[in-house]
Amino acid sequence: MVTKYIIALFALCSISGALAQSCQNPQVEAASFTSLDATVVTQIAYITEFTLKCDNPLPENYALYAEVEGRPLTAARIGENKYQVSWTEELSAARSGVHEVRVLDEEGWASLRRARRADPSATVAPLLAVQLSHPGSYSGPWVNSEVLATVLSILIAYTALRNKSKILA
Amino acid sequence: MSAKVNKAFTKEEELLLQDFSRNVSTKSSALFYGNAFIVSAIPIWLFWRVHALEVSSSLAWFGVVTAACTWLLALAYRNTKFQLKHRVAVAREDAVAREMARKLADDKKMSRKEKDERILWKKNEVADYEATTFSIFYNNALFLAIVILSSFYLLRSFTPTVNYIVSLTTASGLLALLSTGTK
Repeated sequence: MVTKYIIALFALCSISGALAQSCQNPQVEAASFTSLDATVVTQIAYITEFTLKCDNPLPENYALYAEVEGRPLTAARIGENKYQVSWTEELSAARSGVHEVRVLDEEGWASLRRARRADPSATVAPLLAVQLSHPGSYSGPWVNSEVLATVLSILIAYTALRNKSKILA
Repeated sequence: MSAKVNKAFTKEEELLLQDFSRNVSTKSSALFYGNAFIVSAIPIWLFWRVHALEVSSSLAWFGVVTAACTWLLALAYRNTKFQLKHRVAVAREDAVAREMARKLADDKKMSRKEKDERILWKKNEVADYEATTFSIFYNNALFLAIVILSSFYLLRSFTPTVNYIVSLTTASGLLALLSTGTK
């Protein structure tokens, strides 16, 4: 009895999977965040949240995957048609500028992986691409305050010494 | 006996003596000690806020080191001032004499001697003031430079307490020592 139900459930799942259409005419609204202050963190976080709008209704568990500069990521579903992609990078590896988040659906992801097996540098046209711009992070002032204090105090001391030798000359 | 000798001095000689003596007036002394105290106390802030020195457990050290530094710096101020005063007096002599002569030129009643005395007094005052202020500036500048240099670079690996004690005593001791030199 139970086994029957389970089989029926599997069958339903596989049918719905097969019927799951990919998003038609995707439109995306994205917001992003990156860590800007590197003085208190060891890694830079990149987060982008986007809402996906399609012409056709999407199934409940429509999964999305993302690839950023060769790094595979899973997009987390955080609400109704709302997804989040996030990752971290070491301070030294984090570069400023635009990072392209290439978002793929299950089908695209599978075809990408298939293509990668033959050619590691293969690319597949993504479902959509989100531009995440990182303006660079602040890792402290160019001149440390103690260096500045030392330089200034040495300058003043030098002035004092010079003036003294001028008076005594 | 000394009273007898003192009587023999004219006013001019006394002024000259004052000019050449190592003693400083009470006012000047207060200025020296007040300044020395402020300058020796300032590094407490540096060590408290920047070097994270625990204040409550170091109060005794603060008191001892500040007192020692105040004394040593005041000594350095005095010696430096003494070194500089004559040079300043020589450098400013002509200008002061000219200005005083112009000022006193209208006064026909004043005798030549009195005028010379006034000029000498003014010269002493100008040289004293300039030497005092320069001595304070010179020693403060060197003291703070040495404290910053040693606390941030030379003694950075030591604990803040050792750093504080050694930096400040070295800086003030060095200045006091250097000020006793003739050059």
